[in-house]
Amino acid sequence: MHYQQSESWATYMPTATSCQLLERIERLASENAVVIFSVSSCCMCHAIKRLFCGMGVNPTVYELDQEPFGKDMEKALMRLLGTSSPVPVVFVGGKLVGAMDRVMASHINGSLVPLLKEAGALWL
Amino acid sequence: MASHRVGETGLSDSGPSHHHHHHQHLPYSVFPAFNPPNTGFINQEGSAFDFGELEEAIVLQGYKIHSDETKLPLYTTVPRPAATLDMFPSWPMRVHQTPRGSNSSTDSGSAVNAAIASKPETHSHIEAESPISSNSRKASSDPQQQQQEAIYRQQLQNLQIPTQQLEMESEGGSPVTTGGSSHSQQAPKPFSEKKKGIGSTSEKPLDVKTLRRLAQNREAARKSRLRKKAYVQQLESSRIRLTQLEQDLQRARSQGMFLGGGGGGGNISSGAAIFDMEYTRWLDDDQRHMAELRKGLQSHLSDGDLRVIVDSFVAHYDEIFQLKTVAAKSDVFHLITGMWTTPAERCFLWMGGFRPSELIKMLSIQLDPLTEQQVVGIYSLQQSSQQAEEALTQGLDQLHQSLVDTIASGSVNDGVHHMAVALGKLTNLEGFVRQADNLRQQTLHQLHRILTVRQAAKCFLVISEYYGRLRALSSLWASRPREAMVSDENSCQTTTDLQMVQSSHIHFSNFG
Repeated sequence: MHYQQSESWATYMPTATSCQLLERIERLASENAVVIFSVSSCCMCHAIKRLFCGMGVNPTVYELDQEPFGKDMEKALMRLLGTSSPVPVVFVGGKLVGAMDRVMASHINGSLVPLLKEAGALWL
Repeated sequence: MASHRVGETGLSDSGPSHHHHHHQHLPYSVFPAFNPPNTGFINQEGSAFDFGELEEAIVLQGYKIHSDETKLPLYTTVPRPAATLDMFPSWPMRVHQTPRGSNSSTDSGSAVNAAIASKPETHSHIEAESPISSNSRKASSDPQQQQQEAIYRQQLQNLQIPTQQLEMESEGGSPVTTGGSSHSQQAPKPFSEKKKGIGSTSEKPLDVKTLRRLAQNREAARKSRLRKKAYVQQLESSRIRLTQLEQDLQRARSQGMFLGGGGGGGNISSGAAIFDMEYTRWLDDDQRHMAELRKGLQSHLSDGDLRVIVDSFVAHYDEIFQLKTVAAKSDVFHLITGMWTTPAERCFLWMGGFRPSELIKMLSIQLDPLTEQQVVGIYSLQQSSQQAEEALTQGLDQLHQSLVDTIASGSVNDGVHHMAVALGKLTNLEGFVRQADNLRQQTLHQLHRILTVRQAAKCFLVISEYYGRLRALSSLWASRPREAMVSDENSCQTTTDLQMVQSSHIHFSNFG
């Protein structure tokens, strides 16, 4: 494993530490109220996007197959979640909600909407 | 000539006098005499009434009457009451000279013998020819008549072929003794007599057409007999198969294994078979839980006790979702096509199971009275389940589209690669079924949270009864009366479905 201290080096060296990756993920996640990490060809990601759009939320989507370090980020997410598929992953208000099953469970038990409202993604 | 007259008209000193009347009448006198004596024959044939042959006889009868005035001696001298019974040419006609001799004049009798002797190559059918040929031989001094006779013989040959075929398939056709007192025995011979009668007396073109039509009718009758035979055989084999399947089922059940709907190897995967077996057990458990809930509600148990029952019910449903997760890994198609459910359930199937929003809608009517908070809770549950269903459906649609594109595209060279890509995409199906089941599970848990113990007990009882009724509907539908002659595979299942209805404990009481 290579330790890259600076961002600029990272552009020349394709690898990055898992720490850096997680940081990157967290940084991206906190920039917006609702952040979805997705892959453009993934149908479950499409479903989760439709779910939020159907609720009236405008999520920020990062397609990891089009992102720099996308592959590594996928791996990091996999480790983070402990699931076999890294995407989709949803962050609301900078905090990790989880993959599709967690998102749906929280929607059904009524905890998702308050979370969205709290994060400012939903008004009403 | 007198003897021939006898043959033609049935008038003879030696013959029974009542024959005379038959011949005076129009062909439709066929009917009165027809039915009773020939029921035996029909049964033997095992076929429906052969209109082809009846029609032949009627036509021939008609021709015969027209031909009365002609002098050609084409009929045997055997008088029989049943010129009406000339229906069954398929029966071989063995010519027994002695009874013949008693009924006919000695002339034709001897001529018959001569004819038989002179045609060594005859089989039983051509024996039928013999009286006629003998008769025609008698009158064949005239060259013109000879020519006509040759034509008749030709036509007769044409006719004999189908009747031969008829004869071959008709089992139990007993040899016919001519001039016998039994009506059925008399049947074939006069028929062929009359066949020749037509040939001798009518003009050629008309005759050929008629004969062809009659032959076609015979063919049709033969075909329908064959079809019926085939159908009966199919029924028999299906019945045997059914009993075998039932035996297998009994055996397998006792051994604790369920062989799945197929029975005959290979049309159900092992994962699917295992799931089907587990599901059957789960259904039995479901009955038990339902009974417990009903008893608990009726006996007004304390909330604590009722809570135990309700919790066990929720765990019961958790169990089936767990089983479905395992099954989705091994055979997602089995789940998604709903082959593990009954047809009526399959009709409402959404992503391998029930649609949560539909369930909520059904329940919201049954669950009164609810507090305002509960009403809000139920309403928002319905909303959120609907949104989740919509999202999953759209995701699955995109998967479908992507699959279609993959399978449709790709040249011959790329074929393998595209198949591999398609296979990869198919694995996503498991994810969707998994998420759908997750949605169902979460919905039930949420109901459990919103409702009080008593309300939850009632609610879960309603759910179980609802699906029980849906399953019963499938059974009743499958066992509804159908047309007798429809030979389809479902006729085998009818018995088992009826058994299902009888054995299932369906309480059509009011909900709760």
